[in-house]
Parts: sequence; structure tokens; C-alpha cells
Amino acid sequence: MSEKMTESMSEDEPTQGVPEPTYDWMGLTNQWGTRVKPGEHGLRLGDLNVGIYGEVPEYWDDQTRRPRGALPRAGIPPLPYSLRSKHEMWADCAADLYEEAIQRRWIPATEVPWDTLKELPEDVERAICQICTELSQCANTELEIITYWQDRMSYGYFEVKQYLATATFDCARHLEVMRKRALSNGGGLGIESRGRVNRMILESSGGWTEAVVYLYLLRGTYITRLLTGLLSFAHNDAETFIYSHMLEDHARHMTYGYDHLKYAATHHEGATDIMRTLLAIGEGHMANELKDGVVSSAMAIIFGGGIQGGRTYGMERYLLLVREFLEDYLSVCEWLGVDRRESLHPMLKSYLED
Amino acid sequence: MAIFPSVEWFQEVRQVYNSDKSLHSGGGGACDTTAGFRIGESRYLIEFAGLTCAQVRQSSDAELEESDFIIEMPMASWTAMVRDVQENGKASSHQTLNSLDLDLDEGIARSPVDDQYKQDLFYRYNQNFQDFFNASSRVETRFEKLS
Repeated sequence: MSEKMTESMSEDEPTQGVPEPTYDWMGLTNQWGTRVKPGEHGLRLGDLNVGIYGEVPEYWDDQTRRPRGALPRAGIPPLPYSLRSKHEMWADCAADLYEEAIQRRWIPATEVPWDTLKELPEDVERAICQICTELSQCANTELEIITYWQDRMSYGYFEVKQYLATATFDCARHLEVMRKRALSNGGGLGIESRGRVNRMILESSGGWTEAVVYLYLLRGTYITRLLTGLLSFAHNDAETFIYSHMLEDHARHMTYGYDHLKYAATHHEGATDIMRTLLAIGEGHMANELKDGVVSSAMAIIFGGGIQGGRTYGMERYLLLVREFLEDYLSVCEWLGVDRRESLHPMLKSYLED
Repeated sequence: MAIFPSVEWFQEVRQVYNSDKSLHSGGGGACDTTAGFRIGESRYLIEFAGLTCAQVRQSSDAELEESDFIIEMPMASWTAMVRDVQENGKASSHQTLNSLDLDLDEGIARSPVDDQYKQDLFYRYNQNFQDFFNASSRVETRFEKLS
């Protein structure tokens, strides 16, 4: 450092030309002296909810990016946060899920044992690649609908916004890993999905809760079963790693989704009636998508070890998967107080009767 | 030689699991849950905390009902699963917890209090429990005679 500079940085003399700071901002706080200590599992997001910092209001009337607990500043222009009620996005588990997501992250590029991929019969490889194509579109849909609504969520419920940031990253990873699996074993991407349910999810404009009904309760419950089925019939360690990690990420998303719907159902009058109406519409789209032969025949080939086995055992196994999905779906609906057993869409009901 | 099922057997598995991080394929991240296991006439609680299996102990039915989720299947299925792990170094694809959950009519995991949040923990931490049981391939095991 030059002598000249050293001289000008004397502690007693303010730098020439720079006004003396007033430090007016010091002391402006809602609550000072907070000293949260790390618990058994470290210093977690949820641990910070102490004193006024833990007050999560039912309605957040501030339309700025003011962090919860900070002092408001006059004159900040409002931002277009349209979701400002707690029941529109809240889930008690969001802070914990955020921590879990960042701790249980995984890296497809280097952690998947890609060298264990082996050549498969062409019909099986084609079926896997088709499912990878479908699941990458589902992940993309989830990513897009989350980011669409995340932008509209009030800052007061930052735990949810932060958790959803991890969920979008999970989706990006699923998109990535499905594409990588399809392009790494002699196959390639298959045909684009008709996307009925994807469109239904993306066009759900009534609020985030409506999107959650379609994205998680209806389609997500089905994807859970697809992933458990794929995991069970994985052909090598690479696929086992991929499906098991996708399943764990997806289960976290489902936990948020179910928990949010439970919160909405118990804290917002009329929410269960709205869910019932949405599901009556959504089940029709889901039934049509299930009827489309692409996923069903691809899964049957995977389960049956080829086209031949897919016609018999494989398809039976797939139909069992659909029945299990519907049983899961009906039981979660019942748990939410939205019983659908009697009024389930007839096309879906037929899977339970066969 | 530890007998399956017994607290000694679970303790040995726990020791193997905790001492070798290469066995942790479940993302290496935190797993905080207590699961109940109903194996024949025996009941066990397995607690995961952070990166390790913190505790394994015998439990009563009442304690089991307070766990996050319970894994239960016929004794013959338990034995077949552990034998498979012993023979192959890890569960083969049709003997994983996930596959067994799919194959058995009622599944193998349930929440004792009909709490969907807790039920989901089985899927969220599925690989940790699979890794735990895979670690039993390194534990010399004798099987209790099936009655």
C-alpha cells in the first residue's frame, strides 16, 4: 500500500470528499439481541422462528420484499404479489423440507454409476426411453408451474418460497437425468407426450392451491407409483440410483403438496368443496391420459421384460400399479376430507373393478 | 454369530452402517426419523439422526405406534430379504424394501396414526433404510427357525 493512501486512511480523519455517515439506520430494528443457537441438527431455517421473527401472519399485507421481521421503509413501490394469505401456500413442513432438499442433493453427472448401464433388448430400451421422455416433460411442467406461482407469493411466507426453489432445482435435475438416461445407452428420446394433464396443470389459473391439487394430489400420486415400479424393475445400478433418488425427491414434493392441501382444507372455509370440484374435472383428464396407450404399453414392456411379456404379465403389473395409484389417491382424498370414492370418475373406477 | 431377528443383529448392522460411508448411497444427507419394525413376534425401533443410525432397540407395541412409520411383513418375507442380502451383498431388485412394498397386497409401510406426512417418510428416506439392510451383508447371520 502506498504511503499516500495510508495517510489518507487515518482513523481520525474522514476521507476527503466522502460525507460523514450519520449511522441513522443503526438501532432501527423490530427486535435486537436475538441469539439462536444451533440445535442437534445444526442451525436450521425453522430454528430461526423465534420472537417476532417466528410470527407468521394469516395475511401478509406488505407488497414489498421486506424480509419478515425487518422494519418497513416508507415509499417502497409495491410488487405484484397476488398470493398474500397463508392458506394459499403454507405447509408447516416447508422449512424442514428445504433443509432436507439441500442436504440430500445429488449430482447426476458424477454420482450415477453410468458405467453399469448395459445393452438391453431394443424393445425394452425403447420403452425406457419413452418413459424418460414422458417423465422429463412432467418434470418440466412441474418446474414451470412452480416458478409461475412462486413469483406471486408474498415474501412473508419465505419458507415456502425457499422450499419451492429447491423443488424447482429437483425438477431440473429430473429433467436432466431422464434426458441423460435416454441418450446414454444406445437409444434416444421417444415421442412427445400428448400432455393433457401437463396442460391442465399449466393452465390452472385459480391459484397455487388449485395447481397443487392437479400437480401433486392427482398426477404426483401417479408418478410416485411409476417411480416405485421403475425402481423395482431397474436393470442395473445406474437405473437403481436414478429412480431411487428421483423417488426421494418426488416424495418430498408430495409431502409439501399433501401438507399444503391439508392446511388449506383446515384453514380456509370452502376449500374442500373447491378441491372436490377441481378433482371432478381433473379426474376426467387423468382418465384420458391413462387411456392413452403410450405410457401403459411402455411400462408393460419394462415390467414384462419385452413386448411378449408386456402383453401378459407386464400389462397386468401395470394395471396393478394404476389400481395402487387410485387406492393411494382415494385414501389421501379421504384424509383431506374430500372423499372421492363414490364419485370417482367412471373411467378411473373401472380400473378398481377389473 | 448374531441371530436374525435380534437386538444384537441390528446393533451389528448399525455398527457396519455407521462405520462405512461408502454404504450410504441415499444422498449422504440428513435422515431424521424413527421407524418401527414388526418382525415375527419381535418389535424394534430404528432411529436415524443426521448422517447416522443413532439407535436400535427392542420396543413394545405401544412404542411402535408412536414411530413415524412401521414396516411390517410376514416373517418368511423378512427372512427371504435378509438371506438375499447375505447372498448377493445387497438386495437384488425384487427383494428391496420398495419392491416388497409393491408386491405385497397391503404394502409393507404404514403410518400408525394415519398421518400422510409420516407415511411419506418411508419414500423420502427409502434409500437410507435400504442401505442399512444392505449393510447386513457384512454381518454373519444365523436365522431363527420359522415356527
